[in-house]
Amino acid sequence: MASLCTPRDHTFSRRAFLGGAMGALGGLVSPAVAEALRQKEKQVLFVWLDGGISQLESWDPKPGTEFGGPFRAIPTSVKGTHVSELMPRLAKQMHRLCVVRSLCTKDNAHSSGVDRIQRGDPLNRGVPYPHFGSAVAKILGPTASNLPPYVWIKPGTGGFKSEDAGFLGPKYGSLAFGDGKAPENLLRHPALTADEDEARNELRAMLDKHYAARRAPRNVEANASVFDMARELMKKADIFDTSKLPARDVERYGRHELGQHMLIARRMLEAGVRFVKVTSYGWDTHGDNFNAHAGMVPKFDQAFAAMLEDLAATGLLEHTLVICLSEFGRTPRINGHVGRDHFPEAWSLAMSGCGIHQGAVVGATNDKGTLVKDAGYDIGALFHTWYRALGIDPGKVEFDNAGQPLPIAHEEMQAIKEALA
Amino acid sequence: MSDAVAKPKPAEPKQIAEVKTTRQITAARFSPNGAILAAVGFDSAVWRWRLEENELKALPAIAGHRGWASALAFHSHQSWLLTGDSWGALRCQTFAEDAPKTLWQHETAHEGWLRQIAVSPDGKHIATVGRDGFVRVWSAAEGKLVAEHKTAEDLYAVTFTPDGSAIVFGDMRGPIEAFDFSAKKSIRVLDAAALYILDRLQDLGGLRTLLFIDGGKTLAASGTTPLDGATPQSIPTILFFDYATGKLARTFKHGAPKDGFIHDLVAHPDGHLMAVTSGSPGNGMLMLLRSDEAEPFHVNTKMANCHAVALHPDGKRFVVTSTNRDSNGNGRRLTKDGDYANNSSPLHLFESGAPTS
Repeated sequence: MASLCTPRDHTFSRRAFLGGAMGALGGLVSPAVAEALRQKEKQVLFVWLDGGISQLESWDPKPGTEFGGPFRAIPTSVKGTHVSELMPRLAKQMHRLCVVRSLCTKDNAHSSGVDRIQRGDPLNRGVPYPHFGSAVAKILGPTASNLPPYVWIKPGTGGFKSEDAGFLGPKYGSLAFGDGKAPENLLRHPALTADEDEARNELRAMLDKHYAARRAPRNVEANASVFDMARELMKKADIFDTSKLPARDVERYGRHELGQHMLIARRMLEAGVRFVKVTSYGWDTHGDNFNAHAGMVPKFDQAFAAMLEDLAATGLLEHTLVICLSEFGRTPRINGHVGRDHFPEAWSLAMSGCGIHQGAVVGATNDKGTLVKDAGYDIGALFHTWYRALGIDPGKVEFDNAGQPLPIAHEEMQAIKEALA
Repeated sequence: MSDAVAKPKPAEPKQIAEVKTTRQITAARFSPNGAILAAVGFDSAVWRWRLEENELKALPAIAGHRGWASALAFHSHQSWLLTGDSWGALRCQTFAEDAPKTLWQHETAHEGWLRQIAVSPDGKHIATVGRDGFVRVWSAAEGKLVAEHKTAEDLYAVTFTPDGSAIVFGDMRGPIEAFDFSAKKSIRVLDAAALYILDRLQDLGGLRTLLFIDGGKTLAASGTTPLDGATPQSIPTILFFDYATGKLARTFKHGAPKDGFIHDLVAHPDGHLMAVTSGSPGNGMLMLLRSDEAEPFHVNTKMANCHAVALHPDGKRFVVTSTNRDSNGNGRRLTKDGDYANNSSPLHLFESGAPTS
């Protein structure tokens, strides 16, 4: 287990960011550096299926029951555990996964639910808490790779998403790669020589000082850190060039959007990004739920299973916490549009990697999938679990909000022991 | 100025009975003698009612399927009911008795979801399509596999050509293929790509029914014109193809992007079509229309989210299966007794009046 630390130990210092080791990491990490990363660095892959994947068509099938839907359940690599027939590849990875089938959360609206889940739904302290990615970026900082600590690969627009950071301040936001592409104008313009580029950077640094003199330090830091991130990314731009990937990898992950984004995420993890979030949109299936899941779940299955295989094969899984979830599950009841609606009362998520009890199934729902058996787990318990898996003790580590100590996870909840290795 | 001759309009259909059910129903048909209404939906039962006068009296449901009993068709000449389920089984059985007999069955007619069943006009063959991408032709009497054809897609709909020599089938993405199952060769591909879009990760839209009309000159392919996911935004649509040339002759659309899918399409012997829709997120409707007219001549929006229309052989009565009101809603909704609420499909029995000029 990594030694415990306090937030101040890991303040995201621009100097530290720039002054770290500058290993010659190409698009794919060199074996020596990969080994170093494996020795030292905890990383996170956070897969977000936006809108709410149906637990009944994925991790918690109830075939042949009143609300079970049309699909069958299939056995997995863990004896006695079944998943939906739509996930044949993940069924073979089940020994690497821990599935929690007894999530019972509070919010059934997207607008508030997404934030509530990704911020861990702590007790109200009157300030917006950071998303998990921002929290990890703050607590653990960037890895020795010097790459941005929190990147987000998503469909649609990219850019710097400072709102994720909450009270931590804008520099802990996510750097989003819209449609999996590198930020526009990331590479030095061909008409610009290296010397000219350096001269421009010196000019920018000088102007930054004038800028900083008139503005709040945290905003200046955020502004500067974005430039720093961009400079580091310029050195590793081939991470995003999927044309250089072996065709076999592309086929294994799938040529669809999620497959390609997951493949870029793998390359970012290999290159040393601390926290990589991958978002897939389109899971809010109030209508035509079963045809939609019949099309989408196999794509997720393909991409996520390939990722688990590769992380395990390279050894990165030992040091990477993998989390896959949505803002809620979907109703057992099937509506007149042949859809399922939002259901926070009894749903599932999957985890793998460092600190996680792989091959475990935690909790259960009743025969119809309408209630969790025993006490369900709210998202606060998962935040405790994830921090513990990363070697962070939520009882000892806390945020510092301009002098106000704040717990990093809901202080009335605890980690799920059965989910931890 | 139109030179079209005014066609007689059927009188407004009147609902003459409504029957409550305990489950949701997605397909329903009357037996050829009109005595039995059979239905399947979101459970494994094959539900039955006997039509007496204008009353639908429940018969014991037929058990034995697994997953969802998802497809059904009556044999045109024999007292046989063919049913299929979402776990791939196909069964031929009698249907009028309290305890029907199974004549033959295949537990794995398809690997997974058997989507639709069609019976050839001469009654000799049965065709099935499934999520495994196979279209299969079986002998009706014995259930022997006569021919099969593999595609790369999840097949949704199937029908026979009026001469019974070929099967026509289609998937979500658009191609509709005609296949001569005796010669085992593809004879025609029609383009129904208008019924499909890929919205990021989601295959959206899709064909729901295939129906020959005009004595086989026209193939009607119904479904939806999709605009946006994840909750589909789409407009109920029928594509009318000139089957001889394979060209799209006309497109019928009715409704707004919230009006969703045409789930069932039936030809009335008077020459018009009967279509039912479930909205998304609209409420659905029953439409009566003619293939050469831009607008339906009758629309009923009083029933919520309709999935099937079963025309009685007398041509005067029909049943629409809808969904109870307030069928959707987030979170755990409970009944007055504190149970988790389920939805159901009321059956609406209609009677058509005499045509009027």
